Amino acid sequence: MLEQFILVFATLVGAPLAGGLLFGIDRKITARLQGRYGPPVIQPFYDFFKLLGKEHIAVSRLQFIWIYGYLVFMVVSLIFLVLKSDILLLVFLLGFAGVSLVLGGFSTKSPYAHFGANRELLQIMAYEPVLLLFAIGVYAQNGSFLISEIFKQDKPLLFSLWPLFLAVLYVLTIKMRKSPFDIATSHHGHQEIVKGVTTEYSGPYFALFHLAEWYEIVLLLGIISLFWANPLWVGILIALVAFLLELLVDNIAARMTARWMVRLSWSIGLLLGVINIAYIYLTKGVS
Amino acid sequence: MIDEMMAIAILLPVAAGLLILAIRNYYARNVVVVATSIALIVNSVLLSINGPFTYTPEGVNWGLFITILDYAILLFYLYIGFTLRNWLVVIFAFTQLVPLAYFEFIMKAHLELSPAFVVDHLSLVMTLIISIIGSLICIFALRYMYDHEHHAHLTKSRQSRFLFWLVLFLGAMNGLVFANNLFWLYFFWEVTTLCCYQLISHDRTQEAINNAARALWMNATGGTAFILAIIYLYVTQGGSSALSLQTLIGGGIQASVVLLPVALLCYTGFTKAAQMPFQSWLLGAMVAPTPVSALLHSSTMVKAGVYLVLRLAPAFAGTYLSIAIAIAGAFTFFATSALAISQTTGKRVLAYSTIANLGLIIACTGINTPLSVAAAILLIIFHAISKGLLFLCAGTIEHQIWSREIEDMEGLAAKAPLTTLITAVGILSMFLPPFGMLLGKWIALEAAYMVPLAAILFVLASTLTIVFWTKWLGRLLQVLPKLGWPLERLSLSYSAPLWTLLIGIFAVGIGVGPIYQNFLLDATNNVVSGNQIFAIGWNNLVLTSASFIQRDILGLFPIWPLYLILVVALLLPLLLIGLKPTELRPVYLCGEQVGGTDTDEWSAEADQKTKFLLGGYYFQSSLGEKKVNPWANTIAIVLLVIMIGCGVIVIC
Amino acid sequence: MGLMQTSRVKSPWILHFDNSSCNGCDIEVLACLTPLYDVERFGMVNMGNPKHADILLITGPVNRRTARVLKNLYDQVPDPKVVVAVGTCASTAGVFHNCYNILGGVDKVIPVDVYVPGCSVRPEAIIDGVVMALQKLASL
Repeated sequence: MLEQFILVFATLVGAPLAGGLLFGIDRKITARLQGRYGPPVIQPFYDFFKLLGKEHIAVSRLQFIWIYGYLVFMVVSLIFLVLKSDILLLVFLLGFAGVSLVLGGFSTKSPYAHFGANRELLQIMAYEPVLLLFAIGVYAQNGSFLISEIFKQDKPLLFSLWPLFLAVLYVLTIKMRKSPFDIATSHHGHQEIVKGVTTEYSGPYFALFHLAEWYEIVLLLGIISLFWANPLWVGILIALVAFLLELLVDNIAARMTARWMVRLSWSIGLLLGVINIAYIYLTKGVS
Repeated sequence: MIDEMMAIAILLPVAAGLLILAIRNYYARNVVVVATSIALIVNSVLLSINGPFTYTPEGVNWGLFITILDYAILLFYLYIGFTLRNWLVVIFAFTQLVPLAYFEFIMKAHLELSPAFVVDHLSLVMTLIISIIGSLICIFALRYMYDHEHHAHLTKSRQSRFLFWLVLFLGAMNGLVFANNLFWLYFFWEVTTLCCYQLISHDRTQEAINNAARALWMNATGGTAFILAIIYLYVTQGGSSALSLQTLIGGGIQASVVLLPVALLCYTGFTKAAQMPFQSWLLGAMVAPTPVSALLHSSTMVKAGVYLVLRLAPAFAGTYLSIAIAIAGAFTFFATSALAISQTTGKRVLAYSTIANLGLIIACTGINTPLSVAAAILLIIFHAISKGLLFLCAGTIEHQIWSREIEDMEGLAAKAPLTTLITAVGILSMFLPPFGMLLGKWIALEAAYMVPLAAILFVLASTLTIVFWTKWLGRLLQVLPKLGWPLERLSLSYSAPLWTLLIGIFAVGIGVGPIYQNFLLDATNNVVSGNQIFAIGWNNLVLTSASFIQRDILGLFPIWPLYLILVVALLLPLLLIGLKPTELRPVYLCGEQVGGTDTDEWSAEADQKTKFLLGGYYFQSSLGEKKVNPWANTIAIVLLVIMIGCGVIVIC
Repeated sequence: MGLMQTSRVKSPWILHFDNSSCNGCDIEVLACLTPLYDVERFGMVNMGNPKHADILLITGPVNRRTARVLKNLYDQVPDPKVVVAVGTCASTAGVFHNCYNILGGVDKVIPVDVYVPGCSVRPEAIIDGVVMALQKLASL
């Protein structure tokens, strides 16, 4: 029990540090890819503290609650991952984190935030089924939805779930808000419908959004590292390679329309998942 | 004691209904309805405490009584069909009347059976839902109908008639879930169809009558299948003992014979549960006053269809019929969730969501493992509470803004902060963890791998569910009530049911562990005998080994911690006063906004002040009914044919 | 300098607004983002949104139409904020100073912290101006 508390505490503190650094590396590498020098690696932390010190202005009082909900549900999802709990519930919680962000956009009378919120909703529609299928794929392989079961297996999930791995990589691009799928809101250097769903968040509330994103990136890379859970360092290595791959894709791809994102996700992403699960079902049966 | 309790459950609503019909005074009628409701609620609780029993009424020749009423109802259908010149109604009235008459007069069937009623835990769960939620809706209807007629400027009040059918409905439903004699079950089934017709057509507009007639003939096809199933069972088994529901599901009849009637009965359940391709009658029922929708969707009517399929689950366990039912239900879940996205009317979104959730429940029944049946029962309960609440909210909203459109609900918080808040919680309870509906969906998904196709459809559908709920919630919560805004005053008849259901969502949701352990586990065992599938620590819902699975633990749902997190998430912003916005500024409109914080105006060309309108995506062109319905209905019909085919093949 | 001051100096987010400039200065502003000057080295980012900005970078003289817009945008930038008038026109209205529709420099509408003269301004001067603005921001 005490170990779990320490683990949770370490996650709460460590994840934003790691996530912030990852975003700093992201900006550095992106700059290098564009022939620029780029900001220091700890730039996201400067941004974060600066935003915290800004004036507290908002458009509606409800905004704060939803951005806060986004953060809380993201953190809870991450804790579910760290405590090796139920992966299906984790995906549901992650989905609700997204819903909070959407509602934050809807709670303003801003056209840009509305556009962004509607598109964020489409993003949920695009990534949620793939992640749910991944959870079912894990069950098909292991006979349990618990993440702790994954760690007990000797054979990495990647061998049997590699089509789902590709689909999850696709989801990673959507969740990281990288081109070609930075349609709801975007990172520095990109602009789409102003800042989309985050247009109306300023100062400390925008800082909360960044904080949630840091947790999110750690969570996503954590999910990817589950594909090679034994030994875990291989999984983390795979996750980091996936992260670098996303940066490359971000810099060489143009933005897609929301419609295309959903279409691709519902055709190729789901097809990969369905074929994968069907294959395991037919070869392994229900065991 | 049992005598009285059964009489109160089934006959009291009839008697009270007749009394209501006679009373013309608004207040006196209210007293009768409230007294009946309280009696029904207390009675259902007493029944549940009493536990399962079997019962055969004595004294009067009830069999003859029911037979006569059966014919009366069917002849009334004929009468409706002829007066409306709706030949579908006539045809399907005849298809019930002729076999029934042949069965009774030519074959001289003996239809008495003992015990006539078997009340087990599943029936008790159902009667609790019917009595408590149904009664609350009746109480809500008192004031609602008053306002409704006031708004429509009716000179002659028809509230008595409305309340009569509403209260009668509860009695019929109670009879339906208790009945063991299939023929009696059929009778109660027909009474609910009749009540449904009368309630939908209540407003007497042409649209209402047409939609009511459609509901009638669609349900009458189900009734026909029911009659055929009864006759088939009677002929092949030779005698009234075959008409016992318990024998049917208890394995008393050889498997080769039982599947066809069971498939027919499932078809009947599908019509009543408005599964695709029969969804149009339930959508048409939206023209009726909102308490009708609330009653049809949450506790009665559609739940009768689900109940019948769930009840028959042991009879088709392990057959291809079971898989066909699972896939048909899952397909309905998926297709109607997609259709719900394109709907702009609040009530129609609710209707599609109901059909979707019923599809999920039926699919869970079809998957037919202890886990999935547990999910089905939990979903029935949670869905009844949440959907009952949401329909009542929709009714309340309608009587405040006189509109059912979602887009009109923008800024509702300014007019009706309390209603908005309750509606928002109701919507959240449909898809937010840790509320009951999500818990049920979670269990369903964990159980669904037995039928992978159903699992994949579940995945897609639950994603679509998120989309349409979020869209509505966003519209509803666009404006937050400010502190100090006056709360709207709701009549007690509105607020009492709303608050009770709201508390119910939390009470049942938080207490689901103990409730399942002490009560619902028995109901699950009535359908499928399995091991203990929930092991409950102090707070966790753990799905443990069912017979088919090797591992110890399937999944884990920490209920209380999640509720705790929800509370923290809601309360902490209040504590973080430091992060409170010090000032509200207008939204970003490229600097062209006109006016202060809450402005929705900007200066367009030639400095004209222009209002902008915000709205959600509805995807009418790709997910609209016109686009989706043709192929969705075709697939649904094919699935239905396959389902019945599964029953036929076994015989051949 | 405390953590907050350091962060403020290290992370200036810029909103670039064009009043009625001839676009000469605007091009120079955008040139700052190119690999040659790469202002992101200093954490400077061009935001499209006043709600996220710290520094308002304004080019061109204020005319009767843009005055209202400029005021609105200025109001939407959360404190602490600084305003940099980029170019001679933004500073004093320059060659446009007595046009019928021109109100004058940016300081006719909102308070300006740093003036960066030049027609058009060199990117080095813009960066220099922003750095001066940052010193002011740190002291706020």
